[in-house]
Amino acid sequence: MAGRRRGRCGGGVEVLESIYSVVALVLILVACVELGDAATAVDVYRLIQYDLAGVPYGSRFGGLNHHAGAFPFAPGADFSRTVVMMPVRELNFTFLREYIINKQQLGGLLFLLPQKVSKKIVGEIKSKDDGLMRKILVELEQLLIHASIPYPVYFAFEDDKINALLADVRRSDATGQPATATTGGYKLVVSSPEPKKLSSPTITNIQGWLPGLKGDGDTNQLPTIAVVAPYDTFGAAPALSVGSDGNGSGVVALLEIARLFSRLYSNPKTRGRYNLLFGLTSGGPYNYNGTLKWLRSFDQRLRESIDYAICLNSIGSWNNELWIHVSKPPENAYIKQVHESLSDVAKEQGVTIGIKHKKINISDPRVAWEHEQFSRLRITAVTLSELSAAPELLKNTGGLYDTRDSVDEAAVYRSIRLIAESLARHIYGYQGRNIQIFADNSSLAVNPSYVKSWLDLLSRTPRVGPFLSKTDPIISALKKELSDHTVEVHLQHEMIDGMFSFYDSTRATLYIYQVASVAFDLLLLLVLGSYLILLFSFLVITTRGLDDLINMFRRPPSRKVKAS
Amino acid sequence: MTVFHFFNCAILTFGPHAVYYSATPLSEYDTIGTSAKAAAVYLGTALVKLVCLATFLKESENGNFDPYQELLKVLINFIDVAGLYFALTQLTHRNISQNHKFQAVGLGWAFADSVLHRLAPLWVGARGLEFTWEYVFQGLEANANLVLNLSLAALGSLMWLRKNKPRILIPIIYACAGVLATMPSITSYLRRALGWQPAKAVGFELFSSLMMAFLSWQLFSACQRPA
Repeated sequence: MAGRRRGRCGGGVEVLESIYSVVALVLILVACVELGDAATAVDVYRLIQYDLAGVPYGSRFGGLNHHAGAFPFAPGADFSRTVVMMPVRELNFTFLREYIINKQQLGGLLFLLPQKVSKKIVGEIKSKDDGLMRKILVELEQLLIHASIPYPVYFAFEDDKINALLADVRRSDATGQPATATTGGYKLVVSSPEPKKLSSPTITNIQGWLPGLKGDGDTNQLPTIAVVAPYDTFGAAPALSVGSDGNGSGVVALLEIARLFSRLYSNPKTRGRYNLLFGLTSGGPYNYNGTLKWLRSFDQRLRESIDYAICLNSIGSWNNELWIHVSKPPENAYIKQVHESLSDVAKEQGVTIGIKHKKINISDPRVAWEHEQFSRLRITAVTLSELSAAPELLKNTGGLYDTRDSVDEAAVYRSIRLIAESLARHIYGYQGRNIQIFADNSSLAVNPSYVKSWLDLLSRTPRVGPFLSKTDPIISALKKELSDHTVEVHLQHEMIDGMFSFYDSTRATLYIYQVASVAFDLLLLLVLGSYLILLFSFLVITTRGLDDLINMFRRPPSRKVKAS
Repeated sequence: MTVFHFFNCAILTFGPHAVYYSATPLSEYDTIGTSAKAAAVYLGTALVKLVCLATFLKESENGNFDPYQELLKVLINFIDVAGLYFALTQLTHRNISQNHKFQAVGLGWAFADSVLHRLAPLWVGARGLEFTWEYVFQGLEANANLVLNLSLAALGSLMWLRKNKPRILIPIIYACAGVLATMPSITSYLRRALGWQPAKAVGFELFSSLMMAFLSWQLFSACQRPA
């Protein structure tokens, strides 16, 4: 009996304990209820944060928790606790420059990018608006990536909700001071953790090898022709740097050329006596660091066997003029040969190819074109590009404006035909002959849907090199595609050079709350307090009488009288 | 400041109950036990109502106003009245006058109603950064609900506890009680079918509860006078 009772008591204690744990769990759950009930949640993309040789650039902060403000401002207002919303369409560069270059403190900056325009008809001349927008975006990007900004900067796309919000904020700003804690308004919150340095960012080079036809008794190494294109990008918003023209167009051209030549080389009767080496390199924006490391990894024999290399850079938005950039003088025999083979084909296709010579300065660390890395190792190389001048560091590397609309499939198509035709004539020895190997409507025609689908894919994939892991989907996709067309595919993972270091946290969610001011809450408290007091007095008077109410506040006088 | 808002809405929702208790003679006679018992009965009633709703009500596909379903909901709301009857008559209260008994029961009933229906949304919602008027309206609704429950309790005590009522007033008493019992259904009808704005609906609730309170007060004092 006693044992059973003790058992029951023990059971009772267990029940009590479980009740306690349930209550504790409920309390914890209740206390953790997050403020997820915002009016709006928007995807935002952070400005890049990087160090170049120890000097900090870009936006140095990630978290945001301030009120929203917008143009037009009251003059002399303080913005250190305001997030300024600026639509890019109506950007005021003077204000921006003043704040960024003078390092004045803002609570944050939110740029509103216009929604992507719907697809234009191919070949249509870009409208004036597009050109203006492109100029604005380029200038904005250059301003932001070369400044060190001590507050968070985010990019978001315009939509109806944000536009309505902006109009609201503008209206309330126009009437008085910008919104702060005491005047209500909208609060913008991004709760992302502090951005950390990427510990060991890797860049990956992908190469494909298509061996040529070795005759019996041929002991020497066959000569090699290399086709190279950098595939990574760099822009103000790394999560938006899709680089369709720079250098998505080059990558697509390389893939299509690989496809065409793999068809030719699959049959021993049509296999040329040249090896073909395809290289998709990374680290392009950082002085072609990846290309250098890739070339250094070659063994001597391979390096000596390379006849020449063609590097592709931005070949997606030209009309009838392309440029070959060289570092050896144009009179050099090899360069002349390459130039002639390209310009012969170009003439047939109604296209002009100019040649630009830029000498390499060995002491200058700046590598403006990819072929310079080849030239430094004494390999003949040229870069084919629509750009007529060498881009500066971190320019033309696929930024904010470089989206799907900025590249023209027809231009890529023309480039592929040009390059493939001239390569084939060199390989099969048909220089000077008027023969079309990759004619339209033949089995070796350039495939426009292949070009289009790869351009579309690359225009959806941001590809800033250090942010791509070793097993990133786009790297695997490119590797698989090359392995379909070539015999040997090889990935090379390298660490990026010590000069550049990057910080993570490239995208986040912005929550927009409509908040009431402290003044409002105080007012409400006052009103409620007086309401309750009135209610109290009313009830006391009606139920107990007025005297009771008065007596509550008066100390009984009799005691005092007694004491005296 | 959001906890501030929560605090404001909380005192709007639950303050009047505390004020009512401390202001009227209820506190002098220490009727908290009665109120607690009434709150417990309310919990039981709410449970029974939930079970009935789950058993008998169909889920409407398009959320429109379905008269048959609404009628069913009205009938289920009468379970409320049954619960109140139980609380007033069947429970053993200490020796308190009828006057105070109905007040204590009504207060306990309304307090349990507020806590059950309004505390959780308030805790979850009012602490967020986002500001809405929703919780202030909810607080005003709680006030109207308190007045409503007190009037219903008063009429209930008239109907079931008082034996000698003037004959003419009896149908009026029952009519008023009927209106009070169906008041929640009426407000939900106004909100859903007619699509009234929250502010308008809450204003209507406050106004109607004050009118009904006035009416029941008159009836009660009319029945107080010796026949």
